[in-house]
Amino acid sequence: MAKRLTFEWVNCGDVLPEVKQHVSQEVIWKHAVASLDYNPVHTHPEWCKTAQVFGLPLPVMHGNQTMSLMATVITNWAFPVGGRLKRMEVKLIKPVPVGSSCTYGAAVTEKHPIGKRENFVVLDLWVMNQDGEKVAVGTAQVILP
Amino acid sequence: MGYLEEMAKYQKTEKQKSFSADFLERQQIEDYEFWDEIEIGKETVIPFKFEVKAEDVIAYAEGVPDANPVFYDEEYAKKCGYDGLVAHPMFATQVLFFVLKKGHGSWIRTPGSRNPGQIIEWHDPIRVGDVLTVKTKSHDKWIKRGKYYMRYLSEMYDQNGKLKGRCFMTLVLPRSKADVLRFIKGEHALEA
Repeated sequence: MAKRLTFEWVNCGDVLPEVKQHVSQEVIWKHAVASLDYNPVHTHPEWCKTAQVFGLPLPVMHGNQTMSLMATVITNWAFPVGGRLKRMEVKLIKPVPVGSSCTYGAAVTEKHPIGKRENFVVLDLWVMNQDGEKVAVGTAQVILP
Repeated sequence: MGYLEEMAKYQKTEKQKSFSADFLERQQIEDYEFWDEIEIGKETVIPFKFEVKAEDVIAYAEGVPDANPVFYDEEYAKKCGYDGLVAHPMFATQVLFFVLKKGHGSWIRTPGSRNPGQIIEWHDPIRVGDVLTVKTKSHDKWIKRGKYYMRYLSEMYDQNGKLKGRCFMTLVLPRSKADVLRFIKGEHALEA
């Protein structure tokens, strides 16, 4: 029987289960509708051919969708046991154009035993594209029971 | 079928159906803020409010996409230790785009902008039934390697004045209104 995730049970170096996502135009459009961020750099393929905001003739994934999927690595891991995200800081390194396939990962780097219901861990976060290039990195603080 | 019609297929909630998806519409640019005109230190309580409905919470998780049942199933969320349906941590994106339609903070919609990364803090869970108010302050702007960065600090409060979260919203923007108007026409207008 699997151990229940708790602050006590977590160790520095633990690696969280990855999330994978293929980035189609449909995936981006659905996120545009969900987030209400309809910026044409994400949604309008014809406009992107000439505007080339990132030097590419293709729509790119929302930076906040990348961040949402980075958060999903955490919510998959910690939310079923009542965990809570406290802070996240992300640097977006490279654009993620339509057709990319990304892997989202995280690992525990710090434990902060500061008190019941406030104990938190720090995670390193990363996103790799299909060529093994890092497209985003970050850190997160997660409160665990 | 055009791109607006393609996206209309996915619009399900009341807010999604009432929100204008055309960020290239010329008239709304008149209500935007531009990098070279923004004064640092200005603070505004945004007049538009966001009433959180279950359909908003569910629709955001679907759009991530994130299938975790804590975002869809209230009974499951309660078994996990929450007091109701959980909003995905990045739900704040939907709230900010809904309320920052024009005036202070509206530069987050700018055609030609680039997202270099964000900082977000969560102070109290967003719950169905909350009526959220956003207070935003122009925090900093800077030029680095020829790029024009803009950063606002936006805070979300519920109907009882409780702080729910803080976002240091940051984008690289076209420098001026003239540059944004070039992007509206589909031209590239960034210096770097």
